[in-house]
Amino acid sequence: MTTDTRAAGSAPAPPANPALTTISRYGARIVVGLLLTLYGLVSLYPFLWMVSAAFKNQVEVIRGGHLIPHHPTFATITHTWNELHFFRYFMNSVEVTALTVVLTLAVYAAAGYAFAVLDFPGRGFLQKLFVALLFVPGITVMLPIVLLENKMGILGTHIGLVLPFVNGGAPLSILLMTGAFSAVPKELRESARVDGAGEFHVFTRIYLPLTRPALITVALLTAIPTWNEYLLTRVSLNNANTYTLPLGLQTLSSENVPHYNNLMAGALIVVIPVVLLFLSLQRYFVNGLVGAVKG
Amino acid sequence: MTTAPRPAVAEATGAGRSTAPRPPGTGLLGRATRRTGRRRGYEALSGWLFVLPAVALFLVMGLYTVGYGFLLSFARWNGFAPHWDWVGVQNYKDLLWANPAYAPRVRHAATHTLYVMIAVPLLTVLVSFPLAVLLNSARRMQTLLRSVYFVPYVTSGIAVFFAWQYILQPDGAVNAALKTLGMGSLAQPQGWLGNPHTALPTMIVVTVWGAVPVAMLMYLTGLQTIDRSVLEAAELDGAGWWRANASVVWPLVRPITAIVVLLNLRDSLQGFQTFLVMTNGGPGDHTNVLGLEAYRLAFLKDLAPTLGLASALGWLLFAAALVLALINLRVLRSRT
Repeated sequence: MTTDTRAAGSAPAPPANPALTTISRYGARIVVGLLLTLYGLVSLYPFLWMVSAAFKNQVEVIRGGHLIPHHPTFATITHTWNELHFFRYFMNSVEVTALTVVLTLAVYAAAGYAFAVLDFPGRGFLQKLFVALLFVPGITVMLPIVLLENKMGILGTHIGLVLPFVNGGAPLSILLMTGAFSAVPKELRESARVDGAGEFHVFTRIYLPLTRPALITVALLTAIPTWNEYLLTRVSLNNANTYTLPLGLQTLSSENVPHYNNLMAGALIVVIPVVLLFLSLQRYFVNGLVGAVKG
Repeated sequence: MTTAPRPAVAEATGAGRSTAPRPPGTGLLGRATRRTGRRRGYEALSGWLFVLPAVALFLVMGLYTVGYGFLLSFARWNGFAPHWDWVGVQNYKDLLWANPAYAPRVRHAATHTLYVMIAVPLLTVLVSFPLAVLLNSARRMQTLLRSVYFVPYVTSGIAVFFAWQYILQPDGAVNAALKTLGMGSLAQPQGWLGNPHTALPTMIVVTVWGAVPVAMLMYLTGLQTIDRSVLEAAELDGAGWWRANASVVWPLVRPITAIVVLLNLRDSLQGFQTFLVMTNGGPGDHTNVLGLEAYRLAFLKDLAPTLGLASALGWLLFAAALVLALINLRVLRSRT
């Protein structure tokens, strides 16, 4: 408690003036509120303009300058969705993300169960191996992944994206699932085993239902980066029919003169599902992130 | 302090180990040893089956690619030729000093990376700690504001980077806002990313904007675990709001600051997606960073035999990340 003694050594309390304190408290609260709102605006600033441009037409977006469109129009978004193939990109993104999430949950819930509950030779070593994966920079393995998939003939397919995405999420998913499974009382498994239940039965009927919050957290923390992934996707996919949303956006921006209204409408289509997902499942997200960072 | 970082894995294995001398099955005392033996075998087998999919995927997508990349860093190859030309550590030498075509570029990129590694962690702490303190003192709106502050993190990706690009243009929203506020002299007629002098600082600001949410959340969680009585004691002793935060709260959250700084150091060292999307290293390589250089060598050189160089640069980044991780451990250990 060294901090306490240090604080005690400071100047004695000033004479209290109730009226003054009230005013300064009130004033302070207004200042705090203003500062907090200001940073809220900073956080949302690019999004405000994204929305603004998405509701402008070609002429108005070039004139720029004003946030609120003078002639707001839905045409830009519908054009981007229909004519610029964003519906197709959207479905591709959904497919890649859903596959990645489902596989991640299946593979690493099982692994986490083994690490947390079962005693088997090599457990400690394997666990360390998966955590060590965290320290390998993405760029270091990206090239070998592309070369390997080229050899295997899955480069450019969605499964070729899903496999490295699932593997890339291993350290975090294992960390979170192992933590959740070891919090389940061991007696539950013991008594089920005595009653003759098999290991798989214990896992699916007892452990999985009890760790649903952790499963949702892992699903979220997998889904969001996968939805936004651009680097590996860009060097893997080469057929426009397989493009995910980030690559769709990329094609829009690489036109000679980027039409910022279409580009921002596309960006809005990318961002909205993620924001909705985050807002509806925020609790899991925040808990998981704090747990992940501490690990 | 509960926020002291402790790997969940260590806890899990610890918990597992404590039950290792398992109590024999109830009522089966006589056959206890044989049963335990058979149960061990069954448990080991199921353990292996449960980790099998994860391990199989790891062997192919993890271990194989890592090994392949490591070997490739000692060879020269263009990705199409049937054979690799083994060159030993020449790739590393070329990158670090030997080859005038690569070494100066790498050094240039390293300088930029270093700027980013200094500025981003520093600014992130400077913004997120006060923000968390203020947010913690706000009673109403706390949840709403926390969600708002978090949007930059969940949306982080190409879509948001394009939005930034849009508002940083010559006739974009940032310049327009400066003119409206009567600070038109600060506006950048070439655009904030077009002017070689403002491009890197602008990229740093955008990176910090994206890094603040997680840091703020970690500080906020840390602040909420601080015992109220500690703060009340400080207040009774006459410490004002400012002083209480500076000399009581700030030292208490120091472990969090260490994590925030080191996470951002790592991301600044390796991250390059923002740069690839927003500037592609331009104007005139003024925002080229090491990760971007490695990406270029790997994917954007067509038929030039630079794949080995790309791998070598990747491994140099890995080595730097490892050093950071070790410092990380040392710093955290010494604090707890």
